[in-house]
Amino acid sequence: MVRFEDVALSYGDGPNVLQDVSYQFAPGSFHFLTGPSGAGKSSLLRMMYLALTPTAGRVTIFDRDTAQLKRQERAVMRRRIGVVFQDFHLLDHLTAVENVSLPLAINGESDRATRQDVAELLAWVGLKEHLDALPPTLSGGQQQRVAIARAVITRPALLLADEPTGNVDDRIAVRLMYLFEELNKLGTTVIIATHNDSLVARFRHPVLRLNGGHLAVQKQENVAAARLTASAVVESQAT
Amino acid sequence: MIGGRRDMPLNRDSTGRFLPWLIAVMVYLASLATMGALTMTKIANEWQSSLTGQLTVQVPVSMPAVESRDAAEDEQVQILLALLKGTPGVESAILMPLDEINQLLEPWLGVVDASASLPLPRLISVTVSPDAPFDMAGLREELQSAVPGTTVDDHQQWLNGLLDLAGLIKLVALLVVVLVGLSAVIMVVFVTRMGLAVHRQIIELLHLIGAHDAYVARQFQWHALKLGLRGGLIGLLCAGATLFLADHFVSRLQASLLPDLALTPLDWLLLVAVPLIAALITLITARITVLQSLARLL
Repeated sequence: MVRFEDVALSYGDGPNVLQDVSYQFAPGSFHFLTGPSGAGKSSLLRMMYLALTPTAGRVTIFDRDTAQLKRQERAVMRRRIGVVFQDFHLLDHLTAVENVSLPLAINGESDRATRQDVAELLAWVGLKEHLDALPPTLSGGQQQRVAIARAVITRPALLLADEPTGNVDDRIAVRLMYLFEELNKLGTTVIIATHNDSLVARFRHPVLRLNGGHLAVQKQENVAAARLTASAVVESQAT
Repeated sequence: MIGGRRDMPLNRDSTGRFLPWLIAVMVYLASLATMGALTMTKIANEWQSSLTGQLTVQVPVSMPAVESRDAAEDEQVQILLALLKGTPGVESAILMPLDEINQLLEPWLGVVDASASLPLPRLISVTVSPDAPFDMAGLREELQSAVPGTTVDDHQQWLNGLLDLAGLIKLVALLVVVLVGLSAVIMVVFVTRMGLAVHRQIIELLHLIGAHDAYVARQFQWHALKLGLRGGLIGLLCAGATLFLADHFVSRLQASLLPDLALTPLDWLLLVAVPLIAALITLITARITVLQSLARLL
């Protein structure tokens, strides 16, 4: 599904924020990505949603080398990837329903045809009363749930979430995690970057830890889904 | 709503706020220039069609006393009329009445019996069949040998000068339309690029969600079309009012050289097409600008 091979990343002439990263995310796997602030979690995710290309090494997604993708091919591939951005990236002038239906509209589906599905999903994440609310009128947690609904509405093959539960209480956080697990059971590969250790402990999925730009497997529940390559800087803790 | 979904708040942009007014001015100028060119075409065609196949034979003036002059001229006129009517290709040859000659001179001399006091030449109006072969040089020679001093005017020299002038005016009008179109394109490119800069973050998000460049371009192009149509309508209304007033004043002038400026249904159709074409230009320009700008991003 996603494969990193000796990947390094730097911004401009700066130092490497990621280096010697080698790892393969198997199709249908569920991973947590943890690490301190500035460890490179968001950068790793950004490479996976094709916003960045590695400075060195190779990133392969859906069996395609991302550096070789043409512009239009990137767009097509991104439609198979759902992303929950850390700062939500909601469009303030669109309602919650319109924000969530954005990926569907990009896929060419009409708002009228998709409104029912979108409304049901928003109700599921607890926003039934806020379908036509504009993001600035919603709380941080509510905005986060709109962002999550937008990321999963297309049932993507790969779901990337950057701190998806950072602004919600534990009850909602667990509920959202169940949503991700449901998607995972349907075949979606899920990778969640989070600081929330208690949440990570609650769900028994492999944990990847980034520290100083190096990736290590901290907990490896599903050996078939996660394979550590020889060149990775390993700091694994099997449970 | 034109073009469906709006993911970018382009309506709220200050960048495109003045575009409809600028388009209105452009459409106004282009409409007037187009109508100017059409009017000149109409005038030139009328002149050409009214003068093609028309000859004026001028009988030389003799200077003795009026009575003897009239008698001599009448004889010369009869010789020329007989000769003309016997010439192959000549449909008719009519002596122009003196009253009519006096009327032609009225704008310069006022209402006077000019033919009584001035040695005016007698004029024969000749109509030549457009289908039959006609030897103009031969006719000239024959008439001059029959009555020395007779001149034949086929109006070509005068007509050619007017047609050249009309052509020049049409060319200038066309140039105005082209320049106005180019200005509109430059404005739309500028406004679209401003819009791309203002909404850069939203565009990046749309791309990250999987939008093709064409999806983003569609948002800009429909917005540009809406602004173009709005401006075009204003420009069209102003141009229509101006042409109506111009027609009103020209009809009051009663100038025989100027044709009726009232717009025909075809003219109206063309006039309505100007803002539509302008709106189409804004749409296409916005689309191409967005696609080219986005292609340079990666």
